[in-house]
Amino acid sequence: MRMRHAKGCHIKPKVRAVVAIAAALLVAPSAVAQEITAYDLVAGALDLTRGDTSHTEMTMQVKRPDWERSTSIVAWSRGREDTLMRFTAPAKDAGNALLKQGANMWTYTPKLNRTIRLPYSMRSQSWAGSDFSYNDLSRSDKLLKHYQLEIVEQREEEGRMIYTIDAVPRDDAPVVWGKEVWVLRDDYVMLEQRFYDQEMTLLKRMTTMDIREIGGRVVATRMRMQKLDEPDHWTEVIIEAAQFDIELPDRMFTVFELKAGAS
Amino acid sequence: MNPMLLFQLSWRNLWRRRRRNGLLLAAISFAVAGVVVLNSFIRGMQVQMTQTAVNNMNGHVKVLAPGYLDDPGIARSFDLAKDWRPDVLEGIEAEMVAGWASRVRVPAVVMSERETRGVQLVGIDPAAEAISFIGDMAVEGERLSGSEDGRLLVGRALAEQLETAAGRRIVLITQGADGRNREAGYRIAGLYDAEGEGLEKAFLFTGIANVQNLLDASVITELSVRLTEDRHGPNVLSRMIDALTGLDVLTWQDLEPTAAAMHEFVDVAIAMWFLIVMGALAFGLINTLVTAVMERTRELGMLRAVGMRPRAVVVQVVVESMLIMVLGIVIGLALGMLLYLPMASGIDMSAFAAATEEFGFSALMVPKLEAGDIWLVVSLAIVIGLLASVYPAWRSVKITPLEAMRR
Repeated sequence: MRMRHAKGCHIKPKVRAVVAIAAALLVAPSAVAQEITAYDLVAGALDLTRGDTSHTEMTMQVKRPDWERSTSIVAWSRGREDTLMRFTAPAKDAGNALLKQGANMWTYTPKLNRTIRLPYSMRSQSWAGSDFSYNDLSRSDKLLKHYQLEIVEQREEEGRMIYTIDAVPRDDAPVVWGKEVWVLRDDYVMLEQRFYDQEMTLLKRMTTMDIREIGGRVVATRMRMQKLDEPDHWTEVIIEAAQFDIELPDRMFTVFELKAGAS
Repeated sequence: MNPMLLFQLSWRNLWRRRRRNGLLLAAISFAVAGVVVLNSFIRGMQVQMTQTAVNNMNGHVKVLAPGYLDDPGIARSFDLAKDWRPDVLEGIEAEMVAGWASRVRVPAVVMSERETRGVQLVGIDPAAEAISFIGDMAVEGERLSGSEDGRLLVGRALAEQLETAAGRRIVLITQGADGRNREAGYRIAGLYDAEGEGLEKAFLFTGIANVQNLLDASVITELSVRLTEDRHGPNVLSRMIDALTGLDVLTWQDLEPTAAAMHEFVDVAIAMWFLIVMGALAFGLINTLVTAVMERTRELGMLRAVGMRPRAVVVQVVVESMLIMVLGIVIGLALGMLLYLPMASGIDMSAFAAATEEFGFSALMVPKLEAGDIWLVVSLAIVIGLLASVYPAWRSVKITPLEAMRR
């Protein structure tokens, strides 16, 4: 009786340890997954391609049924709010620039030598003849402020978690979409972004075609924006080179620099 | 000579040529009836245009901040005490005022998933808007519940352009009191039908408190006062100008000069139209009277020979002319009334709705017969009857017994 008791006492800690380890193994992944919120994922995705500051060189290809056009762009960004983009080629477009500073946007055309503050009414229009609207370029932190974010699906693919996030605009949000869907990888790389109208019809979609390491980060380097009602119209952005967290002068994101930096 | 005898003579003379005079009578009656009916149409249109102009958020008298018309926006606004009423002013009686409404009206940009449009955002107190077209427009979906309602009423034509519908959200962008942009999403309560697509495309309505919140301003940009009758306009206008110093106090005529010009033109048009028709008729009358006089050369010569004064001959012709004219007017008015009465409640023009809405008219055409217009018809007809008898009368006195005997 004593022996049995002693033996029982001897075994119990072992069992306890096994149970604890098993439990830890079982619980750990889900605990990690639960810690990642939709908000973190979206914020992470926004910061990944921007960093504190960034300098990107990219090519934009606009494809139409009867023609296509390729342009080169350099872009600088700071935080979630400020961006400066400048066309460098072809010669016809070189110098055209766009500045986003907080909620405001300006364009600059060297041929007119004028900066124009972009009225809100024009922001749903196409930017530089592409399938992107000015709003697509300026929307960064709107997503965190004005949308209700929710992870609706997660799956594992090639050892990585893929999250599908529904972003439903709040009732008073200055957003026209019925909802947006973001598909993100657990390293914050954006795989797909879909825009739905309020009848939940898919209107346009941005898909990532290529993911590479660039400037020390793994990011989506080739993305295609396409409107669903015009399947043979699309725009691709290819990131050729990128640097992150670099020193940028404060005057970079000013209207003065928008004009002065062109020459 | 006994006037009764002269009258009898003229009356009998008329009956001597029944067919000829009957045709003339028919022509006069027909012209008078036609003029009465057509005038009632033109007058009805004029009244309707006035109503439309007054209904178009103008009222009879409208108060605006100086400069608002040149540069509309929340920067051009003013404040009135919450309990301000037009009838507290000296000289304005409560029964002159049908109602009043304050609004905030600012230019805005509206965006849906597919389209962007420029509009006027109007914050209203729905309860006060019985004085404008907002009060009686048809709404599909829900109406605004009150001045706190944060939803929108969107015109049907605009909703079609935006490809949106009741229950959906659209985004509004406008400038706040501090000059900075405001943007926010709003849900659409309902779609309204107004008379004219222009209105539907121009105005977006929401609760006035909702707009004031969005703009961070507790002020209003306009106040409309509607009167029970048009004629109180000048009096109320001058009282309000005296009371509301520093603000622009305007009439609907100031705000819609085209409608005001049309309004004045209609008065002239009615008179001209009548003059033309009656003028043409006058020549028929002259012709008939001259023929009658020439036919009776022998007779008139004989009457002169037995001592009838030339004046009596003239009176005889004039009385003949007047008799046929007055008879024509009476029959014409009766005929006009007969045609007008079945249409008095309005003629449905919805078959041409697209065209009438284009010009800002309602699809229901309501003719209006005014006593003043009837008096105009009667008096002008009598004057023309008198004028038309001048030449035949002159011809009749030129007949001498000698000339008459030679015939």
